Amino acid sequence: MKSQGQWLCKGFSDSSRWIPSFMKWSAFLALLLFPVMAWAGGATQAMSVEYRDIPGIGSRNIVWVVAQQHLLLAGFVLGVPIFAWVCELVGWKTKEARYDKLAKEFTKLLTSAYATTALFGGILLFLLIGLYPKLMAYLTDMFFPSFLVYCLLFLAETATLYMYWYGWDYMQGNKKAFHLFLGFLLNLFAIGIMIVPNSWATFQASPVVVADGTAWERAWAAMQNPTWWPVNIHRLIANVVLGGFIVGAYAGVRYLLAVSREEREHYDWMGYVGNFIGVFGMLPLPFAGYWLMREIYQYNQQMGITLMGGFLAWLFILQAMLIGVLFLGANYYFWMGITHRIPGSEGQYRKPVMAMLIVLLLCLGVWMTPHSLVASLEEARKMGGTHHPLLGVFGVMSAKMTVSNLMILVTFMSFIMYWRAGKVETAGWAKAAKAIMGALLVLAGIAVVVLGVWGYFVPAIIRINYFSVAQVLIVLFIMITFTPLTALLMKSAKTTTEMVWGKMPIRAGYSLVLNAVMVILLMSLMGYARSSSRVHWHIYGVMRDTSEYAYSPALGYAAAFMSLNTFVFCLLVAFIFWVATLGDKAKAKANEGKPLDIAGHAAPAMAGGSPAAGEKLE
Amino acid sequence: MSEVALLQIIGLCVVGMGIVILLFIKGMFLRVIGFVAMVLGTFSLIALSVPQMASLPPAVETFDLASVKSPDDLASIGQKIFFSKGQCALCHSIGPSESARCPDLNGVGAKLAPDFIYESLTQPQAYIYLDFRHEGLPKEYPARMPYINKDPIGLTNQEIYSVIAFLQKMSGEPISIKVEDIMNADGESKPKDLKVASLEQSSHVNPQESDVHIQE
Repeated sequence: MKSQGQWLCKGFSDSSRWIPSFMKWSAFLALLLFPVMAWAGGATQAMSVEYRDIPGIGSRNIVWVVAQQHLLLAGFVLGVPIFAWVCELVGWKTKEARYDKLAKEFTKLLTSAYATTALFGGILLFLLIGLYPKLMAYLTDMFFPSFLVYCLLFLAETATLYMYWYGWDYMQGNKKAFHLFLGFLLNLFAIGIMIVPNSWATFQASPVVVADGTAWERAWAAMQNPTWWPVNIHRLIANVVLGGFIVGAYAGVRYLLAVSREEREHYDWMGYVGNFIGVFGMLPLPFAGYWLMREIYQYNQQMGITLMGGFLAWLFILQAMLIGVLFLGANYYFWMGITHRIPGSEGQYRKPVMAMLIVLLLCLGVWMTPHSLVASLEEARKMGGTHHPLLGVFGVMSAKMTVSNLMILVTFMSFIMYWRAGKVETAGWAKAAKAIMGALLVLAGIAVVVLGVWGYFVPAIIRINYFSVAQVLIVLFIMITFTPLTALLMKSAKTTTEMVWGKMPIRAGYSLVLNAVMVILLMSLMGYARSSSRVHWHIYGVMRDTSEYAYSPALGYAAAFMSLNTFVFCLLVAFIFWVATLGDKAKAKANEGKPLDIAGHAAPAMAGGSPAAGEKLE
Repeated sequence: MSEVALLQIIGLCVVGMGIVILLFIKGMFLRVIGFVAMVLGTFSLIALSVPQMASLPPAVETFDLASVKSPDDLASIGQKIFFSKGQCALCHSIGPSESARCPDLNGVGAKLAPDFIYESLTQPQAYIYLDFRHEGLPKEYPARMPYINKDPIGLTNQEIYSVIAFLQKMSGEPISIKVEDIMNADGESKPKDLKVASLEQSSHVNPQESDVHIQE
């Protein structure tokens, strides 16, 4: 307040400088208000206005940027509480303070991002009301009761978040159970906050005919559109992935900036946890995406064809590239963890790592092979069409489903390998269990490939309804059986080499940043795909877009926008996190010279560390 | 210079800037920014190298009464309304479909009288039909038929008759809707020869022969 007062006094006392400055600001404000005044002047026509535009920028572009920022922030804000709460729960159950500390650190990032998310939500709402009044009037008429529910959920979420964050230290010991209950409520409200607006967006893509009824009945009927739940599930998992990889990137940057050993150890561990959460969510994500695409095809085959075989077909090659880089980045980070955190293990794991890398690269090559090649007329004549005689085989869905499942299997095995590294199983049944797991893995790999090849020789409907589903179930079966089995094996395993934290090379930090960038780009890309699949409709088949922006831009232009959005989002997140950690820096300065508590840097059990190393909770 | 070429130059500049930062700047945070810029620039350049296809909207269809010269013109307009403003295709299929949430309308123009279809569209809850085409119990559909002449769909009578004409044509039936009646209607009133259907009036809908039954 003092500084503000001083600034004001200074401004008023120096009138010779202040008057021109005031005039400049007035002129600026007048410019800003000019369109508002112009709109107000045409108030009599307001009811008939369908669109407004922002000259020079374009209404769609500004909505695109703001909506994307809001969505990415919201994804982070809704994803982080899930694993923060799980971390806290693990800390409470195992009585290890490091998990509680990590959960608190996650929540600190969440609180600072929450307000910015709401701010962008508000800006988006004002822009939509102002720029797309006709569409918003329709949606308001259809969904108004759900708006009220959304507001209530938002209030409940905010109140719960305040109590959860500010009550963290107070609600320890006997009160911890209540704090965990608050965390549960926080996630419950967060899921509600996500699924209500999802219904508005999915209604635009897959509207249902709404019959007469009360406002509540109509809103409920509109919410239950065919793609609502597939999108809900897909976004829920994707938010965890986004949150995990952003936390990982945050830890990666802090690791690169770390000056002390303690900081390096801590952020190395945090990076590992972030990457683990991201990979954990990423493995089932393609299955959720597959379900969503199935529902889209079932709802409207034309929309499905527009997405997969029409002008958006090349988008899926870009998607394959991004997912491929993400898989490679996540695996690379695991492999670096094995070689740098477990001294002496480099030679032992070199061969399996190399084999995994080759499989991943081959799979990525197949996934990225387009159905029709970009070829000159002469090249096309030589090939006998745009389908390459050999590579054309890899351009179809049967091949892509097969390699995506194989990549998930490899990544899962990478994680299992990391989990088991530096340990020797002591259980009597360990040998048999490992043999069974090995046999199951080989059988699963063969079955996925056989189903993929067989898929070429059966009608599409058989492949989609049975073969692809079987491939997904086989991979899920491996993940569901191997995880508890490995956990049981590791429970009695003897640690031969303790994990050493803070020894990762600089490129590990960059790989964490790369993973986060890939996820953000993927979300932006698929958002563009979902919007573009509606082609020239605001609400598919119901309300046509009659604005000058009714076309869907080409992929290159859209990708430039996605890159811009990603860059802005990264800077925004960096700023938010910088603000959030200002207090820590002040505390660290105050504690300079005092011995550091490094209990939180011990290796987590799942990372091969000794659980006993953790500080015990009261 | 084309838009693609311009974006490619920008992409190259961004990648170049990222490389310069990584080569010459020592500050770690700036180096991370340079790395991100390089990745994003590369992504944009790759996206710009694939075929660039934009999806342009088709011309806006309007219900132009002056253009209606024959019943076929009417049916053609009805077809457009069926798949757009009327939203019929959101639930109904023409021909068997696993995903259709409401009865298949294949051949409905031959099975039902125009006045009966009119009533089904404007008073959908007057009579509820059960679909007996499937094995087991008659099928109940999840979606409830809306009032086509009320919001949010709000078709005018002229548009409804066009849809009926389309359904008749699609069923191989002679189109019984007269163009003169449509031209004379003001959009809100019914043509004279179309009466609101009653159960007795739709006598040609024989439950024994048809695949739809009337529920009491």
